[in-house]
Amino acid sequence: MSFLEALLVGLAEARRHFAQTLLSLLGLILGTGSIVAVLALFGGQSKITQDYVAEVGGFGTVIARDRELSQRPTAMELASDRLTYGDARYLKQRATTLGAVAPGFFAQLDYRVGGVSFQGPIIGTTPDYAVINDIRPMVGRYLSALDVERQARVMVLGWKYADSLFGQAEAALGGLVTLAGRNFTVVGVLEREEFYFAPWSGNELEYRNRRAYIPITTAFSQYTGEDEHLSFLTLKAAHPTGARAAQQQVTAMLLLRHGVQDFDITPSGAGANDDAQFFKLFDFIFLVVGVVSLIAGGVVIANILLASVVERVREFGTRMALGASSFQIFAQVIAQVVVIAVIGGVLGLALGWGLTGTVAHFMNMPAAVTPTIALVAIGTSLSVGFAAGIYPAFRAARLSPVEALRYA
Amino acid sequence: MALIEARALTKVYRLGRVDVAALRGVDVDVERGDYVAIMGPSGSGKSTLMHILGCLDTPTAGAYRLDGEEIGGLRGRALARVRNRKVGFVFQTFNLMPRMTVEENVALPLQYRGGLRRRARLARARALLERFGLGERIGHRPDELSGGERQRVAVARALIGEPAILLVDEPTGNLDSEAGAQVLQAFREVHAAGNTIVLVTHDPDVGAEAARTIRIADGRVAA
Repeated sequence: MSFLEALLVGLAEARRHFAQTLLSLLGLILGTGSIVAVLALFGGQSKITQDYVAEVGGFGTVIARDRELSQRPTAMELASDRLTYGDARYLKQRATTLGAVAPGFFAQLDYRVGGVSFQGPIIGTTPDYAVINDIRPMVGRYLSALDVERQARVMVLGWKYADSLFGQAEAALGGLVTLAGRNFTVVGVLEREEFYFAPWSGNELEYRNRRAYIPITTAFSQYTGEDEHLSFLTLKAAHPTGARAAQQQVTAMLLLRHGVQDFDITPSGAGANDDAQFFKLFDFIFLVVGVVSLIAGGVVIANILLASVVERVREFGTRMALGASSFQIFAQVIAQVVVIAVIGGVLGLALGWGLTGTVAHFMNMPAAVTPTIALVAIGTSLSVGFAAGIYPAFRAARLSPVEALRYA
Repeated sequence: MALIEARALTKVYRLGRVDVAALRGVDVDVERGDYVAIMGPSGSGKSTLMHILGCLDTPTAGAYRLDGEEIGGLRGRALARVRNRKVGFVFQTFNLMPRMTVEENVALPLQYRGGLRRRARLARARALLERFGLGERIGHRPDELSGGERQRVAVARALIGEPAILLVDEPTGNLDSEAGAQVLQAFREVHAAGNTIVLVTHDPDVGAEAARTIRIADGRVAA
């Protein structure tokens, strides 16, 4: 008897006892369904987290910060200029591990266009800022090297500010904005940026729509006098995986310039995962439910199968008398459970698919049941069924023909 | 050479700490085309003898040749193969598969033998059932048949694989006299067609059907 035929017999068995089969499969269905949902949602979330990290600078981004002064600062510490635009230029020229160096000067200034005015942040920076931060101009352009070199009085507006100041974002291009008493020409307006971890949380990137960028040199000359102290210094490694090497090189170079470790170099994107912890808990709960259901489902199946084997001892005896080998008896029982498990896997997949769709719909999260997940679901279900079937099948196969025939 | 050559068959069962000898040195010879009844009271060892002759069980000691093949050393899969190819069983309680149709039941031994496609197996089963006058019943399930019909289906199933020997255990035990007579008539025809039959019974009327009788008592062949 071929295994295929055994499968057909198993299918017929399952059809004859449809309700019983379905009941015995409940655990397996729930378990498979939960696991499908977890995998689909987890896939969606890790994609979200990756997107977010990419949005805020991506992997391979390194941030240099001033370190807080120690309790009793040394003379060296007090004498240091801290992180300066000079450091940034030096790194830009000499640091071989870096692909981009974006120094930044941050200030709250008064914006005014005609009758509209408010206070808001400005960032003085260089063109490299766009390399690191995925800046996309909606109209116009971003800051250029020439702007920085010439200390040009130009600005690039975030979408929200352009919209607020000029009534319509596109209309801002070419307009004049007075920034703390000095006029700037708008050379670019950026696309609206938005990113949601979940629909109930706000736009994580809204702050980027509410700011303006000007050349860093302009910022220093117009607003600080001679002080070129940086508010931040963002660096990007030349290779996505080179963050660690960049971190080491930059630390060494800055230490040499400052003579004291008054700065910290940390990889970016490390904190982005925190926001995903919340989802991880969900995943974990789903996963536990899934695994427990699968175990319970396996035990139920094993139990029912064992009962059905005991019920059919004489049948197995007769089959042996007709020439069935132990292996064929084993295969018959396994085939029966394989059929059951595949049915359970498919139903579980359907349940998981529905669950994923519902959760994804109500929480507005990207989640998809991929072919891989479907395969994993059927595979899991099959493995559980197989594991549950081994003992009953072994019991049936081990029967002595004489005793099985005598069994009342 | 005889079809069945059994020499000094011994079977000892271990019941707890006590050894019980069911067979104590039995010699049996059955020629091709023979119709033999093995008779004896219950507990005489005749069922054990039948199990060993049918390769369902193995002797503790002794030699057994069936159709030229030495059976004594065979176990498991090899023994299953011999059962499938050389032995056809008919049981007192018919032992048909309740969820299979009549033709599927009859074709079952061929399924275990392998080599034939399902369609061919069922065709052979149908042809055999026609011969037994059960052509109308091929699509029915066993519980839709009378007792006599069920036993004749069982006989067809035993013969489908063209075994060397037909082993029959109390074939009329669960039948009324009329149905029993029908079944015995079927065996007569099967024997007339050249098949070898070994019949185990304690019913003298049934035993009288056979060409000769081997009596078993206390695990030995009685004189």
